[in-house]
Amino acid sequence: MDVHEPARPRVGVVKLASCDGCQLTLLDLEDELLPIVGRFDLVEFPEATSNRSDGPYDVLLVEGSVSTSEQAAEIVDLRARTRMLVTIGACATAGGIQALRNAADEPAWRASVYPEPDFVRSLATATPIAEHVVVDAELRGCPIAPGQLLELLTALRVGRRPQLPVESVCQSCKRAGNVCVLVADGIPCLGPVTQAGCGALCPSFGRGCYACFGPREEANVASLHGWLHQLPVVDDPDRLFAGFTGWAPPFRERASRAVRAAEPATEEGTDA
Amino acid sequence: MVGPRFLARGDLDRLVGILAESGRTVVGPVVRDGAVAYEPIGDASDLPHGWTDAQAPGSYRLRRDGSRTFDVGPPAQGLKRWIFPPLAPLATAVRGTDGSSSFTAATPSAPPLALLGVRACEIAALRVQDRVLAEGPFVDEDYRARRDAALVVAAQCTRSCDTGFCASMGTGPEVTAGHDLVLAELDDGFVIDAGTSVGERVLDRLGLASATSAQTEAVAEGVASVRTAQGRPVVADGLRDRLMDQLDHPRWAEIADRCLACANCTMVCPTCFCTSIGLQSDLDGATTSLERRWDSCFTGDFARVAGGNFRPKRQDRYRQWLTHKFATWVDQFGTSGCVGCGRCITWCPVGIDVREELLAIAPPYEATLVELPVIAGSPGAYVPATVRSVTPETADCSTVLLDPGDDGLLAARPGQFVMVELPGFPPLPISVSRVADGALWLTIRAAGPATAAIIALRPGSQVGLRGPLGRGWPIERAIGRDVVVVAGGIGLAPVRPIVDAVLRDRDRFGRVLIAYGARTPADRLYRDELARWASAGVEVAEIVDRAGPEWLGQVGIVTQLLDQRDWTERPTAAFVVGPERMMQASVRTLVGAGVPPERLFVSLERHMECGIGLCGHCQLGPFFICRDGPVFSVDQLGDLFGREGL
Repeated sequence: MDVHEPARPRVGVVKLASCDGCQLTLLDLEDELLPIVGRFDLVEFPEATSNRSDGPYDVLLVEGSVSTSEQAAEIVDLRARTRMLVTIGACATAGGIQALRNAADEPAWRASVYPEPDFVRSLATATPIAEHVVVDAELRGCPIAPGQLLELLTALRVGRRPQLPVESVCQSCKRAGNVCVLVADGIPCLGPVTQAGCGALCPSFGRGCYACFGPREEANVASLHGWLHQLPVVDDPDRLFAGFTGWAPPFRERASRAVRAAEPATEEGTDA
Repeated sequence: MVGPRFLARGDLDRLVGILAESGRTVVGPVVRDGAVAYEPIGDASDLPHGWTDAQAPGSYRLRRDGSRTFDVGPPAQGLKRWIFPPLAPLATAVRGTDGSSSFTAATPSAPPLALLGVRACEIAALRVQDRVLAEGPFVDEDYRARRDAALVVAAQCTRSCDTGFCASMGTGPEVTAGHDLVLAELDDGFVIDAGTSVGERVLDRLGLASATSAQTEAVAEGVASVRTAQGRPVVADGLRDRLMDQLDHPRWAEIADRCLACANCTMVCPTCFCTSIGLQSDLDGATTSLERRWDSCFTGDFARVAGGNFRPKRQDRYRQWLTHKFATWVDQFGTSGCVGCGRCITWCPVGIDVREELLAIAPPYEATLVELPVIAGSPGAYVPATVRSVTPETADCSTVLLDPGDDGLLAARPGQFVMVELPGFPPLPISVSRVADGALWLTIRAAGPATAAIIALRPGSQVGLRGPLGRGWPIERAIGRDVVVVAGGIGLAPVRPIVDAVLRDRDRFGRVLIAYGARTPADRLYRDELARWASAGVEVAEIVDRAGPEWLGQVGIVTQLLDQRDWTERPTAAFVVGPERMMQASVRTLVGAGVPPERLFVSLERHMECGIGLCGHCQLGPFFICRDGPVFSVDQLGDLFGREGL
C-alpha cells in the first residue's frame, strides 16, 4: 500500500432479533474476505472475532429487527456512535418473519407456543430499524445477496453510490432466460412486486418468488393479488404476502389479514 | 434448379446437420420449463414435434396434441437474446497507481449461428432492430457482428397463434424476405426455398426434387388461413397520430390500476432495445468493467435524476412504453416498433392486452378509414345528382337532399364540402350538413341568385356534384374528451355532422356543449333537432342578437354562452364555425378558458372555385383553404387566423 492509502474505515457488524444468516454472507465472501479485511477495519463482529469495540464506527452493518425493549434502546445508542448505518436483511429492513406477530394477538400466540409464556419478555411488535433510527442504506433479502454486499463495500470505498437496482425480480428473471412460472405453470409468484437483487433465484428453480427482498417501488399489490386470487392453486392470496417482508407497508394489510385468519384458538374457541 | 423444393420429414435432420457444419450453433425452438424457448439443438429430434400451445392474455400452456414440428406459437422470448444479449460487456477501465487511466472497448463476440424455425414476426423484429442498432448513424458493433454471423432459416406459420396480430401490423404471417431459407410444413414434410445464395447452396447440398404445385398451393392455403384466423384487431393505419393525440386519455390511469410495471412486456418484446450501463469494480475501484444490460422504461430508476423521477407513476411508464412502441418509434426509426408477435399479451402476469388497450385509447375512427374517392380529381368531373326533397328551415334557408349518381359522394366526412353546379350558374362550394338515408344533405341560404335557384329546385331536378372535397373535422381528436361546438347562423350546418357523430357514439365523449347564436329567433336552423339534442345528453345553449316577443332565452353574442366556463380541468376539443369575427371572439374566449389551440378547430370560408388547390382563389398564406382546409386547428393557422388582407 502506498502512503496515500486512506485509513481503513472502522466497521462494525451487529445483530438484534435475527438468525445471523446475513452476517454469514459476509464470511461467505471467501475470495474477497482477505481483501475486505485489508481495506476495512472490522472492529466489532462477534460472529467472526473476539476483538470487540464499542465504537465509534464509520460503518455499522445492522442485522435483525427490534423485538425487545433492550434492543429498542440499543439501536438508538448504536446510531449515536455510527457515521453510516446500513441495515442488512429482511429482519432489519422490513421486520422479518417475526414481524408477523405485529398483526396478531401476541399474548395468545405466545401462550400457544411456550409452556411458560411469562418467561418471554418481548415487545408486542418486531419492527424494522428504520422505525427507530435514521438508516443511511439498506440491503434487502433473506439472506442478503453476497454480490450486493460486495457492491456496497466497493461503493463505500470508492466513494460512489452503490448500484442496487430497484427493478422487479421479473427483469432479472427474463434476463436469465427463465420461462415465467406464473404464466406458463400457474405457480403463484410475487416477482412482479418484489425488488430484484437475488438474481431471480427461486423462479430459476421453477418455484415462485416469495418476496424475501420485499416490495419494490410502485408495487401494485392490489392488481397482482386480484390476479392470483383466480389461480386454481391459490386458496388465499393474502397468505402469499405473509412472509419475511409481510410487515413492509405495501404487503402489510394483506399479510395482516392472513395472520388474523390463522389466529390460534382461544380458550373460549376451544370450548366451542 | 430454381424454385421451391420438397424436404421429406425424415430429411430435416440432414438440413440440421448441414447447418451445424463449420462450428455453427443451430438454435431452434425447444420445449423447456413448460414452454418453448430458442435453444441450441443437437438434431431435429430436439425440435417441438407434436407440440402445440394455447396462449391467452397472461397464460401459456403447452399441449401434446399436434402432429407437426412447427405448429407451436412464438417461443417465450424472441431471438433478441441471441443477437442482442441481455448482458454484454462494453469496456474495461483500469486506473494505474500513477493516476493514469486506460480504457479498452470490448471486442464484439459473434458465435456463428443458424436460427431455425424463425417466423415472419421474428424476422420483422430482426429488421426493426437492424434499423435501430445497425442502420442508424451509430452502429452497434456487437449487434452487427452477431447479426452477420447468423443464418436465418424461417418457418411459415400454418397454424394461427392465439395472441399474435402480425397481419394487423403488416409483418406476417407470410415470410417474404429476410431469410436464407424458408420452410413451410405439410403433413409429410416441408416445402423449402432459398432466399439468398447461401440458402441456395444449402439447398444444392440437400439435392432435393422440386415441390409440386399441389404442395406449394397447400402452403399458400395454410398461410392464408392464419391471416383469416387473426382478423385485424389493431388498425395500424394512422395509429401513430391517434395515439399521440390521446396522451391525456383517462384509460392510462385505468391501465395503471392493473399494470404491475414489472417490465415483462419489454423483456419479452423482440424489439425493445432499452438498456442501462452497469458497472462492476474491484474493491479499490482500480479496475471497472462496464456492461450493457437490458433495462426497461417501466423501472423506477429509468427516468430518475438527482432530485426526482420524470415518470414517477405506473401510468406514466405504461404510456411511455405504448406510445414509443406504436407511435414515436415511427418518428425515430420510420417504422412501428411492434411486429405483432403477441408476447407482451401472453407474458403479462396480469394479462393486459395491447390489442384491447389500443382500441380503447386510440380507436380507429370509422371515417378515417374511408378512402377519399378519386371523383374529386378534375375540376370538370361533375356527376349528376337528383334532388330528392327541399325542406325550408328558415325564411331564406332550405335543406336540399340529393341522391348522388356516385356513392363516393356519400363517403363525405363531417366538415367536408362539395361543389354544386346548377346549369346556367357558376359552381358553388357547399358544406355537407349530413349524410343519411343514402342522400347528401345540404343546407343552403339564399345569399345570391345561384343559391336561391338551387333551393327553388323541385324534386327530380338534377344538379352536378364534385366531391367530397377538403379536410373535414378531426372528430377522432375529441374522443375521450369534453366537446364544445360553437356555431353562428348557418354555421350550424357544417357542424351538425359533428353532433351526429357524437350522438352516435355518445359513450366515447365526455360532456358536450353546443353553443349556438343566431340573428333572430326565426333565423335559428334545425329547431326541432336543437330540442332533441338537448334531451339526448348534450347541453344546448342558445343566444340571439335581437329577440322577438316569443323569445324567452338569452340575447347577445355567442361568446356570452362561453363566459364563466372553465375547460382547464378536463381535456377538451372545440369546433367553431360562423362569421370570421365571431370565430375570432369565440377562439379567444375558449383559449382563455383552457382549450388548447391544437384541439381548437375552425372552418374557414374563402372564395373557392376548383376545390383542389389549383386555381389559387382561396389561398391563405401557405394554405389553400379548399385543399388544406376548410377545417384547421387554431394552432396550425397561428397568426394567420384573423389577420386582415391575406
